[in-house]
Amino acid sequence: MQPIKIEPAKALDEALTMQRKLAAGLKTLREVDDVEFGVTEKEAVYREDKLVVYRFKGARRPTAKIPILIVYALVNRPYMVDLQSDRSLVKNLLEQGEDVYLIDWGYPDRADRWLTLDDYINGYIARSVDAVAKNAGVDKINLLGICQGGAFSLCFTAMHPDKVKNLITMVTPVDFHSPDNMLSHWTRNLDADLFVDTLGNVPADLMNWCYLTLKPVRLNQQKYVGLVDILDNKAELENFLRMEKWIFDSPDQAGEAFRQFMKDFYQGNKLVKGGLKIGDRDVRLADITMPVLNIFAEQDHLVPPAASRVLGDHVGTDDYTQLAFKGGHIGIYVSGRAQREVPPAIHSWLAARDD
Amino acid sequence: MTDRTTQDWMNQWQALSRQYWNAWQDLSREAGASAGRDPASVPWHEGFEQWARMFGGSGPQSETVERVLASAKTFTQFAQSMIAAATGAQSGAMPNWSDALRKGFGFAGAPGATFGNGMFGNPLASALHDISGQGVKGFEQMMAGLAPMLDPSREMKSWLNVPAFGFLREHQEHYQKMATAMLDYQEQSARYNTLILKASQRGFEIFESKLAAREEPGRHQIDSLRALYDLWVDAAEEAYAEIALSPEFREVYGNLVNAQMRVRSQVQQEVERIATDFGMPTRSELDSIGQRLHDLRREVRNGTHAGNGDVTREIESLRREVAALKTALAAHTAARKPAAAATKAAPRHKRVRPAAKKRAPQVAALKADIKESVRTLAREAEPAEPVAQTKKPRLRRRRPTAPRAKKSMPKVAHTAVKVGEPVTSFAARIAEFARDARRHRKEIRRASRKGR
Repeated sequence: MQPIKIEPAKALDEALTMQRKLAAGLKTLREVDDVEFGVTEKEAVYREDKLVVYRFKGARRPTAKIPILIVYALVNRPYMVDLQSDRSLVKNLLEQGEDVYLIDWGYPDRADRWLTLDDYINGYIARSVDAVAKNAGVDKINLLGICQGGAFSLCFTAMHPDKVKNLITMVTPVDFHSPDNMLSHWTRNLDADLFVDTLGNVPADLMNWCYLTLKPVRLNQQKYVGLVDILDNKAELENFLRMEKWIFDSPDQAGEAFRQFMKDFYQGNKLVKGGLKIGDRDVRLADITMPVLNIFAEQDHLVPPAASRVLGDHVGTDDYTQLAFKGGHIGIYVSGRAQREVPPAIHSWLAARDD
Repeated sequence: MTDRTTQDWMNQWQALSRQYWNAWQDLSREAGASAGRDPASVPWHEGFEQWARMFGGSGPQSETVERVLASAKTFTQFAQSMIAAATGAQSGAMPNWSDALRKGFGFAGAPGATFGNGMFGNPLASALHDISGQGVKGFEQMMAGLAPMLDPSREMKSWLNVPAFGFLREHQEHYQKMATAMLDYQEQSARYNTLILKASQRGFEIFESKLAAREEPGRHQIDSLRALYDLWVDAAEEAYAEIALSPEFREVYGNLVNAQMRVRSQVQQEVERIATDFGMPTRSELDSIGQRLHDLRREVRNGTHAGNGDVTREIESLRREVAALKTALAAHTAARKPAAAATKAAPRHKRVRPAAKKRAPQVAALKADIKESVRTLAREAEPAEPVAQTKKPRLRRRRPTAPRAKKSMPKVAHTAVKVGEPVTSFAARIAEFARDARRHRKEIRRASRKGR
């Protein structure tokens, strides 16, 4: 049996249909204004340098006693958690009754080139946590770390367990040497010192390029071929453009922090192997003794499930819960399934520990 | 028969191509771009050049428009090649889909064609090459930015090993290093491209095996261009992942990036040299200032955030010490008051000396502690506090010998050295502690004299 049965006339029709859609869609695309994001009302409760801690305002007062502070990665902008009205982790958490805060790191420039992981974790995060706790009138808060922000949250919690009541990690790399971690594989032979000494801050454009080269055909070609199908749907097109804007709107990376992250995490894998120091403090995952909820994505090409799943083997808590989400690294915030599954799961897990 | 079949295929193909181009021209309303040319020989993706001119380059979504057009162009190359193969199949010939795919990525003018060998293009290199634009810049584009500073000529090899001499020796050596780094980069770049080509070839193999798997009875036949394209993408990504996760790729990738960083570093040094010659500020000077400023801010910030830093701990320690001194002084004064009253009331010859003697060791120990604290505090405050300097000689006269080891403030001097200069506000606070301690010492002395 022939594996392909393509009628030439039908195929030509398919190609022409695509051209027609493209012709109509490109006009629409050119006329679409810049898309908006970040739908939930918020107020700044703490500022320091380029960092701002926001508190989100829901339609009703939060019922949860302990606030959640979202610690996002440095490598992308945090509005992914509040992208649009029907795709917002924040909005859904608020609707569940949670009190949600978020750290916006801002865009580092050359003046921030010397910021270290100690500055970020024992400095910025520590002071943000204090500010949120003070604002909420509590001693401890719940920390929700996402991706690289999850790794930072693990470090912070291990060093300051007295400040964290419950820890939630989402798509967080823990074991950086899992066999399918392509990004880590590529960094293993890089001379991190030469890299940072030469570049200073690491350009966001270069980081984006690296992410896209993880799946070059799918992410840079097939995705846009697929876009042709929805070009005539303005709402769908705007959703796509919002995501597109987020993908390419990335901050540069502060050089010293990047150097340490590459050497200690990507190359040294010290979070699981041990020997990690942030500033003058040792980081031991075994010191994390409060309840931990670890959420990872089963089709994550940036943080493979194997990199995340091992967290349970290393933390010191007896109260460890793991949630495998059917989706990818981005889908875990923005897919329809994510809206239905992730916020309720977080809320019910926290509610069970709200004593 | 064969001639007849070929002729039929040609006729059909020309008809389809003509149909495609007519539709295309209707859509773009720009007839004339391909006028006078045989439609069957015109690459279909050429039409996108017109659209790129019409739609690209302006508006808030121009980047997305360009990315969509680039991808549509690639898809159209693929579609044209596959429709040609399908037309051949309908005419009775057995199509070779893999060859058709290769041709799809090997059309003249297709980006992949420049990376591969002839008609067998390199679609992965093309895909990697296309990852660029606003918000994305790879190593290749970064290297292009350095081009004006680099001599691409391979002739530079010939003078690389010529010994450097004379007053321009350093410059010559620098240029030699830069040229060597550049050649190394080109070598690593070639190794990288070889691996990407290998991944593309592997992609064709996997594509063939995926097609072969569909020949089994009961499997769904592919009946659309999009489904076929998606199958190709799966194959290409699978092959790329296979290569990209190999130890060889890891080594080559690392070498490529390191080599480029060495080139950049050499170029930066040259730019710095030129800037210095013209009396302009350099990147490393700015970095140096930035680093000093950052260190200073860390010290100050750590000092103001409870729980962090040596300075905070030191101040807390000093506060505790002064509080203990105050408590001890108050206790001492309180203990003295009844004794002094008793002394005043009693006849002078009946003074209760045993009680005073009993207290003597306690007072002596307290005085020693106070002296120790005051001496340490005064020494730490000396550099920034002129008032302390006026008092200092008295302490030194009393203790001309080598100062005793510091016990109470071992980290203050270290902190000041680390910062570079004493922090004025901190020094002032230390001096304030010193003044407090001296005042307490005087009060103790006065109390002691009254007691006697």
